[in-house]
Amino acid sequence: MPKIVKSIVLTGNGTNCEREMAHACRLAGSDEVDIVYIHEILNGEKRLDDYHFLNLPGGFLDGDDLGSAKAGANRIVHAKVRGSGEPLRDELLRFINNGKLILGVCNGFQLMVKLGILPAFDGEYFKQTVTLSFNDSGRFEDRWVWLAVNEKSPCVFTKGLKKIYLPVRHGEGKFMAKSAPILKRLHRQDQVVARYCTEKSDKPTLEYPANPNGAVDAIAGICNETGRLYGMMPHPEAYTHYTNHPRWTREDLPEEGMGLAIFKNAIRFIRSDEFEQHPVRIQEAG
Amino acid sequence: MSLAIQPEKIDEFMELARKMEVEATILGTFTDTGKFHIRYGERTIACLDMEFLHEGVPQMKLTAKWVPPRNPEPDISEPADYGRALKAMFSRLNICSKESVVRQYDHEVQGGSVVKPLVGAANDGPSDAAVVRPVLESCEGVVVANGICPRYSDIDAYHMAACAIDEAVRNAVAVGGSLERLAGLDNFCWCDPVQSEKTPDGHYKLAQLVRANLALYDYTRIYGVPCISGKDSMKNDYQIGDTKISIPPTLLFSVIGRIEDVRKAVTMDAKRAGDLVYVLGETKRELGGSEWYAMHGAVGNDVPKVDAARAKVLYTALSMAIRQGIVASCHDCSDGGLAVALAETAFSGGLGMSVDLAAVPASGIARDDEMLFSESQSRFVVTVQPEKKAAFEAALAGSPSACVGTVTADGLFRVKGLRGSMILEEKIADLKEAWQRTLRF
Repeated sequence: MPKIVKSIVLTGNGTNCEREMAHACRLAGSDEVDIVYIHEILNGEKRLDDYHFLNLPGGFLDGDDLGSAKAGANRIVHAKVRGSGEPLRDELLRFINNGKLILGVCNGFQLMVKLGILPAFDGEYFKQTVTLSFNDSGRFEDRWVWLAVNEKSPCVFTKGLKKIYLPVRHGEGKFMAKSAPILKRLHRQDQVVARYCTEKSDKPTLEYPANPNGAVDAIAGICNETGRLYGMMPHPEAYTHYTNHPRWTREDLPEEGMGLAIFKNAIRFIRSDEFEQHPVRIQEAG
Repeated sequence: MSLAIQPEKIDEFMELARKMEVEATILGTFTDTGKFHIRYGERTIACLDMEFLHEGVPQMKLTAKWVPPRNPEPDISEPADYGRALKAMFSRLNICSKESVVRQYDHEVQGGSVVKPLVGAANDGPSDAAVVRPVLESCEGVVVANGICPRYSDIDAYHMAACAIDEAVRNAVAVGGSLERLAGLDNFCWCDPVQSEKTPDGHYKLAQLVRANLALYDYTRIYGVPCISGKDSMKNDYQIGDTKISIPPTLLFSVIGRIEDVRKAVTMDAKRAGDLVYVLGETKRELGGSEWYAMHGAVGNDVPKVDAARAKVLYTALSMAIRQGIVASCHDCSDGGLAVALAETAFSGGLGMSVDLAAVPASGIARDDEMLFSESQSRFVVTVQPEKKAAFEAALAGSPSACVGTVTADGLFRVKGLRGSMILEEKIADLKEAWQRTLRF
């Protein structure tokens, strides 16, 4: 019997990409996909424990008050689940420590970074060491970008991918690390997964608009040490069908959009034996 | 927002609001007293008869008087350098690229965008309309388009409204929409039309409003495009000292329609060198209120007029042709006329184009500048693959349409004038630069 893969797409409080994220999970083969309001989690009606794959979509969590996803991150860090009284961060930590997958896109990536669950060196979660700041252009921008994928990265979402074309749609996407040693370690451990490049060259670029926000070292996406947690500014869920491509009326394109591979990798990994062999599996919290 | 909730469901509703962290309070109940009764605690703040509330405002009786303006007929000499003239037109605010603004809006959220506002070889050509796929599991889609041309109100708000409606409809048709299932929204942005000390020209302004509404009635009926919603803002006047500025009477007409299969949608960019260039619809000497006249500080009188019965035949035929997949690109012809539409088609595709003005379907046109910059309505620039020529011409047989040139690989935009000589030859990169530099920031 093949395993039933269950995906959860978290929404509410300003998230606006939950539908296409759920659609991408379904297309990728997830057997069950639930769009769940964070309030349902906080009310104890839904539990992260019942899922394998947590999706944190784009949007404007809590109005991006205090900076993108910052107020939303504070809520998750401090709120308690009604009934059980368990802090939500413990439920999230248990999800992570059980080796389950998290994908954060755009506002979801901002959330992961501000929660401190990325890059989380030495498995130390809830400690923020990097950020996504205001674009160098000083404004929100919607444009398509090329990404070069680090094939040495442990990221389970990007296995087999070399280069992908996706849209960015954000005002705060400039990746920065708290210190030079943190940046260096990110590179050394190959936690830098995706970097902005050009159509012609795989070389990371700092040139605008190929690098749309001025991200340090052209970093567009990073993972944790296990590769099971991944966040990226560009939107893979926004390119699942060829008609999403800005030039589909003039180019011969495959039916399936390039972004779907990231979701397919996630589902494939959850079905694999490797998923259960989590190296840092820790006893359940609480 | 306010909601009406059945009493037996109020507890469930309040629990939902609490869970979702939405502040909700019970303000009152519906009664059969026939009164609208507001209290603050025990104190009555207002108590009005419902009949008065609904019917109490007396009907206004206003006078409107239509006296068509006679503007001086401009005397503009034919430009010596058409390349320079076209670049000057491309840099004008109403024509130039709005990319820096468009990119600041998320136009792809919810993952169903099919025709984006920026299209073409470099993702920066000016799309005529948007196509979206609201249900991601389906290839059915929705087209959304707009029309707006306030300058024509300087001559006659009737034709301003007619042209706005026509522009919205033809933008929808240009990407693959059809008149079969199209609905409209009339958004009025107006100046105070009520005669008063502050508005001594109220009788004229009210006549403009009446005429715009007459056009709205006439054209939505002929096109079969019912208005399903709308909006008005009627006091857009500003006074400082003795100076009063009133905005031009403006109808923004929006349309929304169904597209059976979004995979049949087309974009405005030229696709391949060797494709044939067609102009659909007739070009007349209609430069009144045009960008060309405005660039010369003139208004004129020959405002574009919409022949909706004729346009309907063209729109129906073009919709069918697009559905059959025999159209490579299609671009609406509006502000700046044919010259702008042709050159935009070329540079958005990263390709050159050679056209012959003598081949353009036209009547009453004596000069090249009239042909290039007239803003006659219900026209398109279309490119077609040579192997689909016969099918396309058969599909458009009932409407004015002609092959006027070809798409080329050399990156030059070339125009042969009515007298057979080359009147314009510019690099598409230079035209595009003139178009992009105004609002590039």
